[in-house]
Amino acid sequence: MLEGERILMIIYVILKRTFDTEEKIVIQNGKISDDGAEFIINPYDEFAVEEAILLRDKHGGEVTVVSVGDEDNEKELRTALAMGADNAILINNEEVEEKDQHTTASILAAFFEDKAYDLILGGNVSNDNSTGQVGPRLAEQLNIPCVTTITDIEIEGDMVTVVRDAEGDTEILKTSIPLLATAQQGLNEPRYPSLPGIMKAKRKPLEEIDYDELGIDEDDIESLTETVTVFLPPEKQAGKILQGEAADQVKELVTCLHKETKVI
Amino acid sequence: MHLRLTDEQQMVQKTIRKFVEKELMPLENDVLRNEREGKPSLSAEKMHELQMKAKEAGFWGINTPEEYGGADLGQMMLAIVQIEVAKTFVPFQFGGSADNILYYGNEKQKEKYLMPTINGDKKSCFAMTEPGAGSDTRNIRMTAVKDGDEWVLNGEKTFITGGNEADFVMVIAITDKELHQSSGGRKGVTCFIADRSMGWKSEYIDTMGEWGPASLIFENVRVPDENVLGEVDGGYDLGLEWIGFARWVVGARAVGSAERLLKMAIDYANERETFGKPIGTRQAIQWQIADSAVEIEAAKWLVLNAAFTLDQGEDNRHAASMAKLYGSNMGNRVVDRVLQIHGGMGYTRELPIERWYREARLWRIYDGTDEIQRLIISRNLLKGHVKVG
Repeated sequence: MLEGERILMIIYVILKRTFDTEEKIVIQNGKISDDGAEFIINPYDEFAVEEAILLRDKHGGEVTVVSVGDEDNEKELRTALAMGADNAILINNEEVEEKDQHTTASILAAFFEDKAYDLILGGNVSNDNSTGQVGPRLAEQLNIPCVTTITDIEIEGDMVTVVRDAEGDTEILKTSIPLLATAQQGLNEPRYPSLPGIMKAKRKPLEEIDYDELGIDEDDIESLTETVTVFLPPEKQAGKILQGEAADQVKELVTCLHKETKVI
Repeated sequence: MHLRLTDEQQMVQKTIRKFVEKELMPLENDVLRNEREGKPSLSAEKMHELQMKAKEAGFWGINTPEEYGGADLGQMMLAIVQIEVAKTFVPFQFGGSADNILYYGNEKQKEKYLMPTINGDKKSCFAMTEPGAGSDTRNIRMTAVKDGDEWVLNGEKTFITGGNEADFVMVIAITDKELHQSSGGRKGVTCFIADRSMGWKSEYIDTMGEWGPASLIFENVRVPDENVLGEVDGGYDLGLEWIGFARWVVGARAVGSAERLLKMAIDYANERETFGKPIGTRQAIQWQIADSAVEIEAAKWLVLNAAFTLDQGEDNRHAASMAKLYGSNMGNRVVDRVLQIHGGMGYTRELPIERWYREARLWRIYDGTDEIQRLIISRNLLKGHVKVG
């Protein structure tokens, strides 16, 4: 959106509350237990919040953070406000029984239906489920371009230049707003919530809406996937030290890789 | 009554915790190495760099009034911050603050000493303790004699925190011997601001910890009359205020350090196996962990209560003494148990436990010894200043 010479950007960040990276995962009754766990903003979403603030400070405009979840998400939304976001919206989905990435993307799509926006930013993946699905699904439903795993973004007028991490390679893309982009590590260094920011965060608007206020039916957003079982990865085994002459060790190594680990 | 931290307090706690984990804890190995090699734990440049990084996030002058560029968040926030920062032994302090009694200075003194201290351009220290007088101010010997528009200071101060690095000292000296004696040490002493360039000298005192205080020597040091801080003969109250401010903060440091140490002990107890089982399955270890957790919790509430009382504008001296006495003793018990749980490893310099062990011993001594705290607490009760229950 243009105001005179200056671009005023309307930026949304979709944000997930996740387990602290340091938390140990405990499975109870077939589910991951969150008893006593510490929660944080999903680290990849934190890159997105930081980039949104940087772009707003450069181009002018407004940053709104949106989270789908229960009331506990308020804490992470307040943290984003303390970092410098202007508004926060919590879409409560507690009543939805079967939820997956399709559910979240559909709720967000309904939310964005009547909104004007230039940019929607999110994390590349969450550090819990790590599916990386919500961003691209949302872009698809909104019928806007989507670029994942971005490590740089430049906006000039309606044109956007994006650098993305393509599994180790670098791709440079040109696209236009409105755009949905997901953040990869390396995009920026997220700031600490500032002390004045923390004190102001309570006074910034945080709106809570129920998903059904968005005019969607639970049947349409129900989970498309089914979690069959939840289990921890096998415990790491002790390493094996090969003995003997180098030539024998090589033979044994090849045998191990072939028969034990089956990587060859 | 709401015995929980507010949302803001929780967010500050979380932010400081992240700062400590991300910026300070990675420096721990360097700090240990520097100290073993006899170098400063943290270089002045590194400290400045970290303070500036914290300043970017507004963590600057946490307790400094807003009119002096601070955040003025009060004692509860200070307690929360101190507990979190004490989770590492990296000797970091947030910038932007100055000694509480410097605010009593006149406008000229504020401009010359208070503001440069807040901005980090000058370093201060406070000197009351002497070789023959700690909390017993009646035995102060240092004198200041008026000569024209100057005061001439003679005497020795000892165990002065920051005395080796300070650019100026706020020093207590006798200005009226008779009044000093007749008032039992409560009057007849004055606080002077003395620049190092005025001629006082400092000597480093080696201790069992990494903290090295100083002896300050005054031989005919001439201090201009305009450098009297507060009222002539009214230095005793300033001294008490300076000491009282820091007292409960020692308890906060003990709580933060003990929490980190207990976490180390829990991790170790779950990992270390003897006779085929983790030592955490043994009752001897379990009880040490349980006792430590209970005592840390108790000390934390005493500290928060001391901070809260001050925030309410109430006299917190009784609460501060209890927080200091219990907190510092708790810290010593916990570090001892944690060292015991780690066994031989705990005693080595491979781990930082022995370093904490040496530091913790100081907590029971400075800012009023255990005995002085007990004296204050019991006197308040026996004289009816504070009632039981």
